[in-house]
Amino acid sequence: MSGPSRSATGEETIPFTFDGTTYHARPGDTLAAALLANGIGLVGRSFKYHRPRGIMTAGIEEPNALVTVGTGGRAEPNTRATDVFVYPGMVAKSQNRWPSLSFDVASIFGLAAPALGAGFYYKTFFGPAKHWMRYEGFIRRAAGLGNAPTEPDPDNFSQRAGFCDVLVVGSGPAGLKAALEAAEAGSRVMLVEQDAEPGGSLLRDPDSAIDPAAIIARIKALGGEVLLRTTASGYWDHNFLTLTQRLVEPGAVPPHGFAQRLWHVRAGRVVLATGLIERPVPFANNDHPGVMLSQAVRSYVRRWGVLPGNRVVIATNNDDAYVTAQALVEAGAEVVALLDARASGPAAPSGVTVYHDARPASVTGRKHALRKVTAVVGGSEQSFHADLMAVSGGFVPVAHLHMQAGGKLTWNEEAQAFIPGETPQACETIGAGLAPPPAPAVPPAGKAKKSFVDFQNDVSLADIDLAWQEGYRSVEHLKRYTTLGMATDQGKTSNMVALSRLAEKQGVTVPEAGLTTFRPPFTPVTMGLLAGAGARNAGAHVRRIPLHALHEAHEPIWQPLGYWFRPRAYPLGGESLQQAALREARTVRTIAGLSDVSTLGKFEVSGPDAARLLEIVCATTVGKLAIGRGRYTFMCREDGFVNDDGTVWRLAENRYLLTSSTGGADRMAHLISYVRNSLWPDLKCSVVNVQEHYAGIALAGPRARSILAALIGAESPRHMGYAPGTLAGVPVHVLAASYSGERAFEIHVEASHAAEVWRAIEVSTRAEGGAPYGLEAMELLRIEKGHVVVGGEVDGRSTPHDLGLGGMLNKAGGFIGAAGLTRPALSDPNRNNLVGLVSLDGPIPEGGMLIQRAGQSPQGHVTAAARRILDGGAIALALVQGGHKRHGEELIVTSPTRGEKARVRVTSPHFYDPAGERYRD
Amino acid sequence: MTDATSIIALPAAPLHALEIWSNPMALATRVQKALGFALPAMNRSAGNGSITLLRFEPTVWLAEGAVSVLVDTLGDDGALTAIGGGIVRFRIAGPGWRELLMEGGVFDTSAAAFPVGATAATVIDHVGVRLHAESDDACIAYVPSSYAQSLHHFWDEALPLLAS
Repeated sequence: MSGPSRSATGEETIPFTFDGTTYHARPGDTLAAALLANGIGLVGRSFKYHRPRGIMTAGIEEPNALVTVGTGGRAEPNTRATDVFVYPGMVAKSQNRWPSLSFDVASIFGLAAPALGAGFYYKTFFGPAKHWMRYEGFIRRAAGLGNAPTEPDPDNFSQRAGFCDVLVVGSGPAGLKAALEAAEAGSRVMLVEQDAEPGGSLLRDPDSAIDPAAIIARIKALGGEVLLRTTASGYWDHNFLTLTQRLVEPGAVPPHGFAQRLWHVRAGRVVLATGLIERPVPFANNDHPGVMLSQAVRSYVRRWGVLPGNRVVIATNNDDAYVTAQALVEAGAEVVALLDARASGPAAPSGVTVYHDARPASVTGRKHALRKVTAVVGGSEQSFHADLMAVSGGFVPVAHLHMQAGGKLTWNEEAQAFIPGETPQACETIGAGLAPPPAPAVPPAGKAKKSFVDFQNDVSLADIDLAWQEGYRSVEHLKRYTTLGMATDQGKTSNMVALSRLAEKQGVTVPEAGLTTFRPPFTPVTMGLLAGAGARNAGAHVRRIPLHALHEAHEPIWQPLGYWFRPRAYPLGGESLQQAALREARTVRTIAGLSDVSTLGKFEVSGPDAARLLEIVCATTVGKLAIGRGRYTFMCREDGFVNDDGTVWRLAENRYLLTSSTGGADRMAHLISYVRNSLWPDLKCSVVNVQEHYAGIALAGPRARSILAALIGAESPRHMGYAPGTLAGVPVHVLAASYSGERAFEIHVEASHAAEVWRAIEVSTRAEGGAPYGLEAMELLRIEKGHVVVGGEVDGRSTPHDLGLGGMLNKAGGFIGAAGLTRPALSDPNRNNLVGLVSLDGPIPEGGMLIQRAGQSPQGHVTAAARRILDGGAIALALVQGGHKRHGEELIVTSPTRGEKARVRVTSPHFYDPAGERYRD
Repeated sequence: MTDATSIIALPAAPLHALEIWSNPMALATRVQKALGFALPAMNRSAGNGSITLLRFEPTVWLAEGAVSVLVDTLGDDGALTAIGGGIVRFRIAGPGWRELLMEGGVFDTSAAAFPVGATAATVIDHVGVRLHAESDDACIAYVPSSYAQSLHHFWDEALPLLAS
């Protein structure tokens, strides 16, 4: 028998499938262990050349054995077979092959490998961009990793905060010791381990003096938190780390609905006990199934009882591989040769022949295992029949988190490895990562073309040589040109081998050759985990207005507005959105309508200095408002551009209500807080955000005044007047403000009583022939009236003058933005000014560019377009260069993306009741 | 202690923002005289049978309950502003409330960091909330009304995760 195997013991009770065939695993098996146990050595195909690939490692650094685990929306591509534990019913599939793993048509690319070296794409697929559209589909089909699932992920993802005095990463001997000591000293300890079992290297090399389970129990008894299947994936500033915890294995159905958890941990001190990663050895066909890292072989033998091969050749430059030889011999394998690149080494196990000054040159093999190993021994070639080769090219400390923390590295010449050095954060590395075993540099013996360095990206020594030959000197350029160190493994096994080659080419030492940047995440993280619970809601909770349920009964078309959802229109009898909006707008123009404006920003400002604060925040005069009066206002940024607009009302001697736009509400809250607490902390006033305390209902139309008067039992306040009142038995604030161009009121009521008030207004309004109206009708109304909207005409680049509001500015100055407005550039007569447009043809394309004639550069753009509500005809608002002085001029609106065009005449933006006569009683 | 952790929306209650802008020492004395307890320190709470004051900001307290006695006490040194219409109170009770509030949170709810009587203004799953550790067994969360339904759902979904 040859190839990987495991003797059955009856513990093989967990059924799983790989490429449709059912196999059985033991509890605790990784998929890699289970596949090897079932004699499977061929697990996948390589990224570029579709070369057959097997299992190379026993950990998260695995570059070859990438599989898709799970089905439907739970399918997780590019899962390392070495980092997933088999569960009953697991479905695993190999990737990047067609029609099957054994017979992959695209493996023909391997024959073309000499022509497909580094930079092949750059050298071949150039020319006009349209050509790339043809190349892309072919390249994507031919190369790649697994396919992303097309169905939505049915599972949830948790995000949780964590706090501790000491965070220990890694539960090997050093990590266990550090965590236990910290816990016994009274510290709040978190210990994280990416494996399903604690122990780290102890799982491979047990030590009778250390019992991981007992230590874990002791840490927990002392109040420590131990997280298994948890990877410290990111180390950020201020000892903030992100941990990725698998609550269930990839593709498994989580009993509680959550597949993974992202921990946000703030640690007082971080201890990195992250150990070492073994380096592979470059030689021809070193990517063939049956070539494995030495410590991985030992792990499969000792931890999982799997024999990855029966006739084994070991190639090494260090002492550790001798331990693997011992493990193999004890397990019954035949170690046919131990190739030691050094002149001498430790004593070998009995029966093992050691060849010194020996380096592997090439291997040949069958589907699941090797056939022959050829080595250069003392200058001459020698071959060995073997089905497995265990290689060890030395060890690399896992310094990723240390480097993400901003740490430095020092070069250890003896080990040919970078060792964690100083770090600016409260962080230390302990254990094996500080003392990798000596492992001298060894020149490769095989042909460079098939001596792979980066297995995941099919980058060989020859590719590095080619990049050098073509002038790529920097390690960063080398990385980008060859794709070395990219993809899911981020070069964990390849970087040091590649650096050595680059340094050799440059004739410098490895530290002089430089390093690429270590970036989070340490291992791949699913997008769902980053999105968290909001994955299905675009990452955020929906904000519901107080009357959401009441509107829902009218079956409106809902409009997302920031995080809010507001009724866009209330269609009747199969109306389209446009039909419903026009009907609603006409109802407002002719009778009355009511609309939900609860989302407006609202701030209650009180105290002796309330007016002073408002005159700082608002760019218009506010201080002289009489009690019971209000006015339109707008606020600027410090640079003089309009920030938001709203109204301000004097409710009492020292109490005001400031409203702002829905979209600007949070921005205004920040601005006011900044003014109140940072710029003018001595003001004797209070500013409270009451946006959600009050629901707002707009009642607009020629009959609004009489409807309201009947409801509150008193005369309605005149335009821009304020009156407290009682409506449906509920105290309300009545603000006589209009956005529609009609006589209108905003009725603000404590949100918990809003439904009673809405119902009363709706009944009275409907009795007059009126109806509710939504955002779309509101848009038609405001465009016709020429009112600006924040986010449309107020686009962050508009000054008050641009919008025709300059006359309202507080001439005394002193407001935020007053200084900014004095900048000469803001007085340029050719700035974009707000104008109206009347179509001379058909509809005006919204967002269209304004030009004088074909081929000319745009002189402005349409911010909002509509049709006249009662009279017909297309109108629009626009920002046009020097627009205030261009009324009467004819322009062309063109929208190349929509293929639409219209001739328009520039006018005043006020199409409806420009004198404001409809506001008067 | 109850066996399971529960989330219950409490009935609407009078809530006011109490902001003090001048003469804090003198006003504190007047408030103590009027209420029978001192204004709580930052991130702490205090109360009697009819009113509880919770401090979340340097100059602002959340007043829960009857505030009539405060109105005449403030003079020109501070103001009360009603905010109860925009806040839903949830009582999160049971052995897992501290762990539940770490879900989507950024705040340390352990008993050492957040003892009974403590208050905190924090963020849970991107929603700004205020917390009051009412007892060993319960915490009150003050949630913006617009997010209340969604956040309640978020907590309900997270309940099976406790101790997982």
